[in-house]
Amino acid sequence: MQCTRVTASREQLLDPLTPEWSRIAAEPLKMAATPLANQPSEYIKASRDEKQIGKVRSLDVQAAHNGSDIFFRLTWEDATQDVQITDTTMFTDGCGILIPLHATAVGGADPPIDEMGSKDAPVNAWFWRADFKDVPRNTIAHGLGSTQFTERCAVRTKSAWGAGTWTVVFTRPLAVPDQQEETVQLAAGASVKIGFAVWEGSNGERAGVKSFSKEWRELVLDA
Amino acid sequence: MAEPSEADKAQRAKQLASELKSQKAMLKHANRQLAMVFDLNKCLGCQTCVVACKTLWTRDEGMEYMWWATVNTQPGKGTPRDWEKLGGGFRDEEPRAGTLPSKREFGEAWEFNYDEVFFGGKGNSVHLQPSGDPDWGPNWDEDQGGGQYPNSFYFYLPRICNHCTNPACLEACPRNAIYKREEDGIVVLSQERCKGYRFCMEACPYKKIYFNLVAQKGQKCIFCYPRIEKGVAPACARQCPGRLRFVGFLDDESGPIHKLVKQWKVALPLHSEFGTQPNIYYVPPISPPRFDAEGNLDESKPRIPTDYLRYLFGDGVEAALATLKTEMAKTKAGGKSELLDLLIVYEWKSLFGPFTQDPAAIAPRRA
Repeated sequence: MQCTRVTASREQLLDPLTPEWSRIAAEPLKMAATPLANQPSEYIKASRDEKQIGKVRSLDVQAAHNGSDIFFRLTWEDATQDVQITDTTMFTDGCGILIPLHATAVGGADPPIDEMGSKDAPVNAWFWRADFKDVPRNTIAHGLGSTQFTERCAVRTKSAWGAGTWTVVFTRPLAVPDQQEETVQLAAGASVKIGFAVWEGSNGERAGVKSFSKEWRELVLDA
Repeated sequence: MAEPSEADKAQRAKQLASELKSQKAMLKHANRQLAMVFDLNKCLGCQTCVVACKTLWTRDEGMEYMWWATVNTQPGKGTPRDWEKLGGGFRDEEPRAGTLPSKREFGEAWEFNYDEVFFGGKGNSVHLQPSGDPDWGPNWDEDQGGGQYPNSFYFYLPRICNHCTNPACLEACPRNAIYKREEDGIVVLSQERCKGYRFCMEACPYKKIYFNLVAQKGQKCIFCYPRIEKGVAPACARQCPGRLRFVGFLDDESGPIHKLVKQWKVALPLHSEFGTQPNIYYVPPISPPRFDAEGNLDESKPRIPTDYLRYLFGDGVEAALATLKTEMAKTKAGGKSELLDLLIVYEWKSLFGPFTQDPAAIAPRRA
């Protein structure tokens, strides 16, 4: 997956509907339901059918950077806009980007993408949820069920829903001062593993009940 | 990188399941277990316990519709509506899928026109009433009961979180946000770890977990553990004017819980078939005899059908009722009964085991 270098400004690229994005190739990703057998809850395993979860089966991803900030534009089809939790039975739409926290893991192995990392190979997720009103969260995980929001979050999002499609742009400075928050460091010319997830709120999706991009992709940032 | 084989994936899933089982075993472990016994022969449905809990714990934003302690009429739909049919719990030791109740099914918090009636001078022209036109509430079918006149019947069923020995909620949470306290077995839902996924709400067969829409977290009865830690009995138990709520450790042989549950076996679990091993026990209600078609008393059958009590409290119900009747006959004949003395509660403090501390004596007075 290419992260194209562009000269557009942060304001331009943060706009999900800006024409700048039409110049950047979209990579269509096949998404699958997370494997039920791995869920960290016997209740979830017993009460769900893998065919019924992970409703969103296709996600388009565009990646770009302008030397100082990185941008991801995620687009997927969703007939229902689930943006509020006004009842105990409601869940909202969401999406996330997953990158291993450290460039090289202890022992060299990639963190397992379908286990939200491990103790030796934690992962960093940038998490958007429709009811967060474009205030995303930065998360660290080191295994299933261990996600922990960090206090600070340098990620910003801008989202738009129209004609049965969600478009969400994530942006963050490539490098974030270490002391400020635990988060993956990126740089022009670097290459990192990357994964994606989508939650369909109207399908009661939350936690590990979601669709994900199955395998790590290699994200290569233009120099 | 080679795609792992199906066998590899299955192997890994097994490993994860085994690790999960160990984690859950640790979270479920408790050295001692606090329990309560509710004597249904004494409950008048006055709702004092309900309000005691409400005023102490569920007054914050998002908690308006919450009633951690409830008293409903049985037979009846209770709260949330038809909770007994909403699944959850275990069957043959496997988790059973459960339904997430809506706010409406729990019973919405009604808005009343207090201002205009009490302060707006309209006290003589406007009824005190909820706004909108509610058609369900947390105690909507109060006193309706079951059966047909002249053999209609009902009784009151107070409920709180059962602080189960095998909690379905604890098992269900994928974040391990629910655990039992080692020292007393109280089931706690960590507000730090909870992310509002609500699998616990699906899994609890008693439907005693609520969702705070403002905080976006699951919340439930905490057995008043801050009071327990100071030797003070839970508010619902202490406030009960009926003296029907016993509190103590299940293993304390000198206490009322052990005597009623283990020794006399008159206190029974509610819906034990849900498989969670609840720690709130009930002394089943004795009822008067039925009337036959001629209007004469039919001593052979109680007004509350034993089948119904068996449905709620299991197969021990007949023996429990028989024991109660035997002991009542003893005292009626002028004899003594340790069981009756225990259940009558001549001394109010005898309800609370070691938790007899007065809260007013330890809490600083608020200005």
